[in-house]
Amino acid sequence: MKKIMNISTVMKQLKVFRFIAFVALVLSSTSCDDFVEVPLPNSQLTGTTVFESELTANAAMAQIYIQLRDGGILTGLPTGGSLNFGIYADELRDYTTSSISQPIYNNSLTDDNATVGSLWRLSYSQIYNVNSIIEGLNNSTVLTDPFKNQLRGEALFVRALVHFYLMQIYGNIPYIKTTNYEINRQLHRQSTTEVYDAIVDDLEESIELLSETYVSADKARPNKLAARALLARVFLYMDRNSDAITQASNVISSSQYVWETDLNKVFLRNSTTTIWQFASATAVRNTNEGITFIFVSGPPPICALQNEFMNAFEVGDQRKVKWTKTVTSGANSWSHPFKYKLRTSTSSSQEYSVVLRLAEQYLIRAEARVKVGDLTGAISDINLIRNTAGLPNTTAISANDILTEIQKQRRFELFTEYGHRFFDLKRSGTINTVLSAVKPGWNSTDILWPVPQSELNANPNLLPQNAGY
Amino acid sequence: MNKNAIFVSWVTHPLPTKLMLVLLLFSVTLQAQNNSIKGTVSDNIGSLAGVNVIIRGTNTGTLTDSDGNFQITAKANDTLMFSYLGYKALEIPINNRNTINVKLQEDTTTLNEVIVNAGYYTVKDKERTGSIAKMTAKEIEKQPVTNVLASMQGRLAGVSIIQDGGTPGGGFQIRIRGRNSIRSDGNEPLYVINGVPYSNDAIGSPSTTTAMASQASPLNSINPNDIESIEVLKDADATAIYGSRGANGVVLIATKKGKAGKTSVSFTSSTGAGSVTKFVDLMNTEQYLDMRRQAFINDGIPYGATDYDINGTWDQTRYNDWQEELLGGTASINDIRTSVSGGSESTQFLVGANYRKEGTVIPGDFRYIKGGVSNAINHVSTNKKFKLNFSSSYTAQDNLQAATDLTLTARYLAPNAPALYDESGNLNWENNTFENPLATLKSTYQSKTNDLLANTLLSYEIVPGLEIKSNLGFTDLKIKESRILPSTMYNPVYEVGSDNSVVHMNLTNRQSWIVEPQLRGFKSFGNHKLDVLLGMTAQQQLTERLFLTGIGFSNNNLINNFAAAITKNVTNNDIFLYRYQAFFGRLNYSYNDKYFINITGRRDGSSRFGPGKQYANFGAVGAAWIFSKENFVPVDSKLSFGKLRMSFGTTGNDQIGDYQYYDTYSSTSGNYQGVIGMQPTRLFNSNFGWESNRKIEFALETGFFKDRIFNTIAYYDNRSSDQLVGIPMPATTGFTSLNSNLNASVQNSGFEFTLNTVNIDKNKFKWTTYFNIAVAKNKLLSFPGLEGSTYANRYVIGQSLDIVKLYKFNGVDPDTGLYQFEDMNGDGVISSTDKQVVKDLTPKYFGGIQNQFTFKNWNLDFLFQFVKRENYGFISNVPGGGPYNQSNSMTNAWEQAGDQTNTQLHTTGVNGAAVAAYYRYIESDEIITDGSFIRLKNIALSYDVPLKMTKNLKCKLFVQGQNLLTFTSYNGGDPEFKFSGFLPPLKVVSAGMTLSF
Repeated sequence: MKKIMNISTVMKQLKVFRFIAFVALVLSSTSCDDFVEVPLPNSQLTGTTVFESELTANAAMAQIYIQLRDGGILTGLPTGGSLNFGIYADELRDYTTSSISQPIYNNSLTDDNATVGSLWRLSYSQIYNVNSIIEGLNNSTVLTDPFKNQLRGEALFVRALVHFYLMQIYGNIPYIKTTNYEINRQLHRQSTTEVYDAIVDDLEESIELLSETYVSADKARPNKLAARALLARVFLYMDRNSDAITQASNVISSSQYVWETDLNKVFLRNSTTTIWQFASATAVRNTNEGITFIFVSGPPPICALQNEFMNAFEVGDQRKVKWTKTVTSGANSWSHPFKYKLRTSTSSSQEYSVVLRLAEQYLIRAEARVKVGDLTGAISDINLIRNTAGLPNTTAISANDILTEIQKQRRFELFTEYGHRFFDLKRSGTINTVLSAVKPGWNSTDILWPVPQSELNANPNLLPQNAGY
Repeated sequence: MNKNAIFVSWVTHPLPTKLMLVLLLFSVTLQAQNNSIKGTVSDNIGSLAGVNVIIRGTNTGTLTDSDGNFQITAKANDTLMFSYLGYKALEIPINNRNTINVKLQEDTTTLNEVIVNAGYYTVKDKERTGSIAKMTAKEIEKQPVTNVLASMQGRLAGVSIIQDGGTPGGGFQIRIRGRNSIRSDGNEPLYVINGVPYSNDAIGSPSTTTAMASQASPLNSINPNDIESIEVLKDADATAIYGSRGANGVVLIATKKGKAGKTSVSFTSSTGAGSVTKFVDLMNTEQYLDMRRQAFINDGIPYGATDYDINGTWDQTRYNDWQEELLGGTASINDIRTSVSGGSESTQFLVGANYRKEGTVIPGDFRYIKGGVSNAINHVSTNKKFKLNFSSSYTAQDNLQAATDLTLTARYLAPNAPALYDESGNLNWENNTFENPLATLKSTYQSKTNDLLANTLLSYEIVPGLEIKSNLGFTDLKIKESRILPSTMYNPVYEVGSDNSVVHMNLTNRQSWIVEPQLRGFKSFGNHKLDVLLGMTAQQQLTERLFLTGIGFSNNNLINNFAAAITKNVTNNDIFLYRYQAFFGRLNYSYNDKYFINITGRRDGSSRFGPGKQYANFGAVGAAWIFSKENFVPVDSKLSFGKLRMSFGTTGNDQIGDYQYYDTYSSTSGNYQGVIGMQPTRLFNSNFGWESNRKIEFALETGFFKDRIFNTIAYYDNRSSDQLVGIPMPATTGFTSLNSNLNASVQNSGFEFTLNTVNIDKNKFKWTTYFNIAVAKNKLLSFPGLEGSTYANRYVIGQSLDIVKLYKFNGVDPDTGLYQFEDMNGDGVISSTDKQVVKDLTPKYFGGIQNQFTFKNWNLDFLFQFVKRENYGFISNVPGGGPYNQSNSMTNAWEQAGDQTNTQLHTTGVNGAAVAAYYRYIESDEIITDGSFIRLKNIALSYDVPLKMTKNLKCKLFVQGQNLLTFTSYNGGDPEFKFSGFLPPLKVVSAGMTLSF
């Protein structure tokens, strides 16, 4: 009897293990794949979806301008070109003790400098996003052609713009037209000629695609004339002077713009000489430049204009009075750029960061006119600038003197605007003479920044490094 | 699947007939007569409540009541087994007696019958096959700390813990057997609290959490005194059952449970004080001004108008020890906790409450407050078949700190900088020549965290030997952080108004649930024992974050009212859904209690991977042999215990973040003319999967002289591959990395040694010592394309992941007075490619030694922690420049040609070459110094007050200290830091008492 009981217990145990085995099989064969497949959260969209609606496609384009405004070469923040090329050349003095900006100011840059790396990286990130829009538009079957053309025109314009600045800083660079990382990870650097050609191609197509009317308020998105204005500059840099004259004249003669004689109004949000500007981050904020440059007491927290610069203004130049401001503290005084007059918020934004403006077009045309022999035309353009600044007509007569005068006007008209001074010194070939006189650390190889070391490591095809680094 | 198939075929085989015989004998003993037996169980001090009394060979048993009394019905020839955690088990034959009084001896080795929690199962410490380090409430409660991780420092072999800072509420870096993942945020262990995985993903936001070196550690929500035990699972055998999340080890935390018997109440209160352990040796005013003057002489320029420290504006005879003034305060610490526990044999409960308040060492009313309640209920049905454990805790934290850590300011400020307050007690701006550091304290950080953790473990014994159980857990974490930057933090002369005041906010909620049904079968037949566990897991975690920034207020008093902000920005609003599913199993077989084999496996699915990559298998085999039970070891041998064990297996890691495999555009917070921007989130690649980690371990455990000397020596070798580091990409691709499994391999290997000795064990005096040391090595075995990657400056094949590549320092050129460096690549230029000297910052070895003395009612316990490593020295700004103080080692600077010194010439900053050389100097091998230390991590003295008048009332007085002494040659402040320039961990002394009745 007992034995039978025990056998049944044993059988029970066997059943126990069979049961476990059965459960194991059931558990492991249960298909619950769906459980670990999670949907996208409401803060993200797939790339395809973005280009199925004008709203989201516009959001992608808006991000480009946000990126340009708040980071990379064109930002007015202290990380951008206006400040960094200003301290690198002879416009600004660095008052920080930062290990990042001091080497820029001292012209002792190294290839691991954070700004060297971030300007490169952020610029190519901007280019990637632009290319992603171009590809998204190409693949979209929903968006209308006029809308696609508008966005493509803007995207090409930005692509040319960012490459243009990259080339000024780093020399030979790859011109990137795709998002494919398999291609982009092993690109070679292209010669200046190749890059300029690519820039011209993009701008010419952009001019085709864009209309003269602005698609948004406050000229905050580029139109056909903005593309022409940039192309005029590119042609000038390329020494294609008659093409530069054509483009600049096209802009100057447009009824979109009216020459402004009041210097205090040139950088207002509704300035009539603005060709393209960045809308500010909120409806009440003003410009990043205002935050970077303006200070109310000394010593300057970030930077101030160099004394040599302040002293070089021609007597009577109203730009010294209206576009700079001197702050005194005890026996000391410092001057800061005062093109933008607002540092803090106002009930509604009154100033936007002007990227392209009419004065530069006159200066481009003046210089190109000298180079093609139209000295009279050049003098008339330069006098417009001088007169607006409260100065009499120029006394320069010879081509050389006119060029020198143009160089000087560019210096005082375009100071602390996106590195014009640095680029102009390089173009004119006077950079070594001018800068070594005021910057003890200046070397002739400093005309280019180094390509970030990490980039050369990541893609050895980018070798060799620029000379001197 | 295969394993299951084998298993099925095995169970269908007939069982040995031996088993039937055993069962037969077993049923025979069920005869004989029953008597009622009474008795009392006590130890050296007094009666013991809750002691398990079981009739040997049966499931019948009882527990002693609060006075140590028990009563049980048993047969005259039965044997009673008495067991109690931390005491040696005792077996007493009844021998026809009716009263049996027992005195239990404390188990000094704590090894015998110590049950180790391995997560899904428990195992006798003696019989375990895996590598599990354990600490218990006994050690935790002696430490005046807020975060449980702090209590673990120096106590667990191979577990390296660095406290990121002394500001309350901050984070920790924990590495169990080194760094496995090249991904710097992929090295966290898995935390499991009462069976519920607890996410340690940081909960702060970069714009709010500025007060601390790292973002807040969620583990602050756990009250250390609620913890019964912490088990750290290290090897494959122990961690493989956690599959994809076991690669970096598993930390199991079990909270205290109620005890049967008369309801008992315990109340503990303590008060303490904390202060900074060690300051940096800085220049005094004379040395400082000498440096500044020399800098101007070297540069050949006159003092500028803004060189207030030296041009006569500031008092040149004044001296402030700024570290003392700004960080030299005393943080008061108050801690109160109480608990009530009790219950019947079938149902026990524990209810506790705690409150803690910590001040800070910096000036101002900053504090950290934590309060919580916890409870635990355990129930066993009368037929013992159904069991229920429920526990929950709710913790609220309120942390108010200065938004900016003042440590760097205190180290940098010129020693002759003016007083902080003027004569009328207002902040002194010294005629606008001084940026008063106290003004920054008006910018504050506050976080309010509420955390609910609840879990239930249900089990039911279907038939003897077959148990079905389920673990159910729920967590709910809410945090509201804010950082305010009121306009009052600026010098009034700047005329910054409240329209420029800023508030940053972070609102984060994280909820998770887990369901884990399991089936366990166990059976012994003859000398064979089999234990099988099968289970599955379904887990979901949902995190929602909302980051806000408000700018401009009509009045600074409105700054915490977001609605009052003139500009309101939502900088981030996202949701992360993480789902996780797994099937796991364990098969444990032992023969004769001598040979053990443990097979564990897990099939994991994670929502963090794309289609086709979601599932992966992990598994391990562990084996142990207790050779001291073999015949060749004589019974009276001095070797009382000997075990060899080994394990190998694989685990994984999915710490890569959610949604990474999608091709998406994300909303940014940017606004352009009212349009919120969207941009590509990442380079698209959905083809990546788990990081895998292969672990091997061999260990020998031996006990001598009845285990009075007990040691473990373990060797391990772990290799992690398929690194989820992101393939480094040049920026021309638009991004710096591509999510993918990089075929790089990292090895962590090392020895761990523990030694526990009972040095003296007399009736009234006892002295025990615990020692542990880990010698660890981290090595990057392979990294395809390292040279061409952005990691080229950080890693070297064959070296540790925690290396730094540095310039080779060649001293100071006696002619120029400038630092010299080796041009390693010989290209004539010193550039970053010359940073080729490798310094390994990984600790070479670390551990702790703890001594415990018990004399009558006195108990003294102290732990020395030691770490051997190199670290960065103190770095200030360019010496001579700006008004920045320097280490006093910078005094002997080069002044003129021919000077032989190791400090280059001072410069005010205009000597570009000197500035560049200085920046290279701080990236050279010269800046790396010995950061080793030996620290009296913890000391605790307690006294049980003998109270004759009331039998039940117990009173214990105690004094505890943390970080009281530090022995180090490091002169850059406290040697324990991961991020330089933050308040180091404090030294704390606290005293209090515990009353219980």
